[in-house]
Amino acid sequence: MRAEATQISALTAGAAHLLCFAGLAAAHGLAGRGALVSDPALALRLLVVCEAPIVIAVFSYLRRDAKSCSFFKAVARGLIGLPVGAFLNAFGAIVLGAPVGIKYWIATIYWSLVMSLFTFVPAACVFGASKIDWQNVLSHSIYFTPTDVENYMISAPCHGAVLGAWLGAWPMPLDWERPWQEWPICVTYGALAGYMVGMVVSLVLMTVHKRRVRAKAD
Amino acid sequence: MSPPASHRRRSRLLSWPLLFVAILAVHSLAVYLFTRGFLLTRTELDLHSSRDDLSPQGNVSPGCASWPPAAVDRLVIVVLDALRFDFVAPSTFFSEKQPWMDKLQVLQKLAADEKNSARIFKALADPPTTSLQRLKALTTGGLPTFIDVGNSFGAPAIVEDNIMHQLAKNGKRVVMMGDDTWIQLYPEHFNKSFPYPSFNVKDLDTVDNGVIEHLLPSLHKNDWDVLIAHFLGVDHAGHIFGVDSTPMIQKLEQYNQILEGVIDTLRSLSKPGGTHENTLLLVMGDHGQTLNGDHGGGTAEEVETSLFAWSPRTPPDAVLSVLDDSSCNVDLHGKEVCVSTMQQLDFAVTISALLGIPFPFGSIGRVNPELYALSTRTWVNQRMGTNACTSQDDLEAWMGRYTEVLCVNCWQVKRYIDQYSATSVIGFPLEDLQHITDLYSRAQENWSASLITTCSSETGSQEKVEGKGSVLLQQIDAYNDFLQSFAKLARSAWTEFDLWSMGVGLLLMILSVIIQASTLVNMNTISQSSDQKSSGSRIIPRFSLAFALVVIRAASFLSNSYILAEGRVANFLLATSCITSVWHSVLKGNISIEDLVFLLLNIFTRFGIEVGMSKQLPAPTITKDHPVSVICKILGVNSCNILLELFPIISLAFVAYIMLKCLSRAICQRFLKYFLLCGTMVSYLSIAFHWASETTLFSHAGTVQEFGRSLAPCIVYAIGGLSLAISAFSRIFGPTVHLKMNKRIIILSAVMLCSWSPTILILLGRQGPFVALISMTGAWCIVKLQQKHQRESELSVADPVSVIQWSLLAVCLFYLTGHWCTFDGLRYGAAFIGFDHFHIIRQGFLLSIDTFGVSHILPILSLPFIAIVWYNTTSKDNELKDVILNNINKVLLMYGLITAITATLTIICVAIQRRHLMVWGLFAPKGGAHLRAPWTCSLQVGKRIGDSAAEGRRKQQAARKIHGWAAWIGTGREGGESEMHATGKRWSSAAHTTGVRNTED
Repeated sequence: MRAEATQISALTAGAAHLLCFAGLAAAHGLAGRGALVSDPALALRLLVVCEAPIVIAVFSYLRRDAKSCSFFKAVARGLIGLPVGAFLNAFGAIVLGAPVGIKYWIATIYWSLVMSLFTFVPAACVFGASKIDWQNVLSHSIYFTPTDVENYMISAPCHGAVLGAWLGAWPMPLDWERPWQEWPICVTYGALAGYMVGMVVSLVLMTVHKRRVRAKAD
Repeated sequence: MSPPASHRRRSRLLSWPLLFVAILAVHSLAVYLFTRGFLLTRTELDLHSSRDDLSPQGNVSPGCASWPPAAVDRLVIVVLDALRFDFVAPSTFFSEKQPWMDKLQVLQKLAADEKNSARIFKALADPPTTSLQRLKALTTGGLPTFIDVGNSFGAPAIVEDNIMHQLAKNGKRVVMMGDDTWIQLYPEHFNKSFPYPSFNVKDLDTVDNGVIEHLLPSLHKNDWDVLIAHFLGVDHAGHIFGVDSTPMIQKLEQYNQILEGVIDTLRSLSKPGGTHENTLLLVMGDHGQTLNGDHGGGTAEEVETSLFAWSPRTPPDAVLSVLDDSSCNVDLHGKEVCVSTMQQLDFAVTISALLGIPFPFGSIGRVNPELYALSTRTWVNQRMGTNACTSQDDLEAWMGRYTEVLCVNCWQVKRYIDQYSATSVIGFPLEDLQHITDLYSRAQENWSASLITTCSSETGSQEKVEGKGSVLLQQIDAYNDFLQSFAKLARSAWTEFDLWSMGVGLLLMILSVIIQASTLVNMNTISQSSDQKSSGSRIIPRFSLAFALVVIRAASFLSNSYILAEGRVANFLLATSCITSVWHSVLKGNISIEDLVFLLLNIFTRFGIEVGMSKQLPAPTITKDHPVSVICKILGVNSCNILLELFPIISLAFVAYIMLKCLSRAICQRFLKYFLLCGTMVSYLSIAFHWASETTLFSHAGTVQEFGRSLAPCIVYAIGGLSLAISAFSRIFGPTVHLKMNKRIIILSAVMLCSWSPTILILLGRQGPFVALISMTGAWCIVKLQQKHQRESELSVADPVSVIQWSLLAVCLFYLTGHWCTFDGLRYGAAFIGFDHFHIIRQGFLLSIDTFGVSHILPILSLPFIAIVWYNTTSKDNELKDVILNNINKVLLMYGLITAITATLTIICVAIQRRHLMVWGLFAPKGGAHLRAPWTCSLQVGKRIGDSAAEGRRKQQAARKIHGWAAWIGTGREGGESEMHATGKRWSSAAHTTGVRNTED
């Protein structure tokens, strides 16, 4: 495992994150300023369209068992993972109180696809169906104990996105009556912010970890 | 084990009840002090003045033997909602000219040009400065608090005596146009009315245009005596755009135009013989507003409104000497404008005096001399009463007349004071009352004496006449003294919070939280040192999660939005805790069915809460795409109704089955078991029968229906009480010692649940079984998860997350059952299940069971289920008993701490926001609900631990509840409906329907 882990350098990881970020930026550029508020469904759709190919491609390239598993198999895993993750995310959101109604369906579907891209798809592409790896991704131990670079890459943004979305729900009941308080706008903002923070955190963790490994080696 | 150690342990166990009692005492004291400082209450008297109040009784002075005669024939009242003082007064009265000043030029011009007949007043309102309270104050002449204890159980209509009532009774015809709040307050008092919805704050023009359409044509008609035109535009413009905005200025300019039209019309018709020969025009605000357009509080901007009075006919110049104590200033055109100050409190009685109707019974105002003098006819020298012994000049005659009016005024206020002290729940302090009474009797004696002296000198010399003027002045002063000191007393009793006792209450509350927290920490360190050291690291994340949930929930009470959405917040937090537990299970790799069931349960409660919320808010959009209504649409209305009728009974059968199954398994004492089984069966059958007799599906014979409607609930209540008594009896005398601790606690809880649940179910109504199923499933999930957690961590300590989940579930259930924390969120219907007549203790008790049953009583009674040790680490029975007792203490303490923290935060919030518009609508009932929770909990705590003494305490609990509720139901009845209707309506319209940030500070 360790030998494999060294295959991905921090630079590659950084580049991968940069690509994902570029996807978000492209979606933002296409949708235009404030599109998320004025037309959330359209903005989220653009986000899915721009981000999905990038995330699936990048993380399929970074797949764990590169020898036994072809690139296309990883892509297929990602494509299956996308709706499954979307379903889980949507379920979680509804449990937490996301509004259900004809008016919100489309936005909810796109939102959960975006969340799936942030959380579920990377892990699906990289790990496939390996149970231990999934548990590793979910665990909070990555922040305390050193682990593989992919784990950092996948876990931190995933946790960030989920926490961000959770925190993003808090302004919703306030009576400010701003358009962005509607479901799923502020939740999406929160998730995006959390995702980006997670990417930065994962890079920081990687460098810290590397330095620690080097110090140990010395 | 060495004897000293066991002895120590025993003494520790014995000291628990004492600790709980102490916490309870501190709690109760804190709550008592706080509520005493915070709850301003006033009792509404359902008494009315009548025309012949004064004549037959000889208890009034000779000078004032009748209500004053009418001084104006017709009255036009133009109410401009939220009219700030600086909208009307010339800008020269203020340090800086602002863009919104000097827009009502026509009023300023009149005040400058016709000093004798027009006058601008600064009218000082009393908080709460919300429209409904102000309208009530303007017409009753009282000081309405948010909680007026009265007799109306539903409608916001005013039951107290008021001008409208007097006008209608004395044959005056009233026309109303504008704000429909008037119609709610006075549903039957208007001859003609043109109400327009005041609901939509965003709509600046509907009400105003409606008034404009009817105002001028009505002025030409002759079919009314009093015309009220209530414009809302300024209020709405303030709420949405603030004072310094173009819409506001446009509105003011529009009003200027309208008022010009009104004044021209009145003037043209005011010639002798015209229809407005003796008409008085009043242009007034009901309250002010801040620059942001907020109102409700007691700041100068909010309470300072203005009143402009003008009569088309000019009184004699002597009027100026009455008006002399006013501040004058030069206006924009170099003319002198004078402004007087009056209390809004005085409005009702002054208007009554002018129109010649009896003063409203509960009015505590004083006839304002300046406003009274503006009417020409008060200057007509009539021979009236006994004081016209000598020839007088204008001023003196007027003063004589005014003194007589004041005399009647004082008599009427004194009568109110006497009646109020005799009948109200909370009267005035005795020494103050004595002082007031002294003032009154001195004034009246003085008056009789002066009457005798002036009239005895029939052909009085010059000095006598001069003397009479000063005597009258003295007399007026004496009356003023009396009226003002009473107004001051009333203000302190009805509008001022007792900050000192609120502060002490808050400190005590914090103290009790600290005691509980430190005890809990102490307990944990003890149990941890005895347990394995390594367990600490495993407990910490659980504790921090629980702590975070409590803190988030408590912090959410600082914002009114979160209080409004408390059900959803609680559900969100519950769901969060569920998701973390799922996450935890996934990490461990063993997902159990309970996790998933709990998640699904969350979805159910969430939709249930949304249904409850949709009832609360006037927003039909929520219900439209709600799953239930969608299902109904698919099935069709008819089959849907049948389903809705049948579903409760089917689920009730299910609940009953589960209940009986549990009972038969749990209880092993034979007598108790059979009794409880029978009792439960009969109770559930009665409930089913009760519901069946109410449905429209079957047709019944009258007697059967009657039986089902009234007798069946009584049977349920009786069985509940009986089984409580029997369980207590069997606990005291029954041999339970041989049973294991686990078993004993289960029996105890099961018995309590059995005896309470049927009563609560029947009070909840049709939704009851559904809620019961949800709560049972929830409890099952929590207990199972707790077991799993105990098995995993191999620890037999109570899990804080389970406790907080339990309490969050309880909150969710509160909202799920259609309650919400406002006075009109009380389900009054529940109080009358089985009874037709109102009895304050009985109905209050039922209402409290309904309100707190599913959210406080049942969860706390079933709390020991979490405390039971399912995973047995020690084999020794003796040690197990210790562990269990320790656990129970801990769980109860934790639950108590959770409720205490929320209660403390609620108190802080209430204290901070005490002058906030919403405080009575939302925060205060919230406070009420929360403050009672710890009582129940603490009492419950005591009960669990102690033995026979506990029963006594439980009774105390019941007694306390009745007591609390007697107060709350009393306040709730009137306060609930009427006040919330207005504040809630205004507020929800402002904050929800239309989206203004007017309540956000």
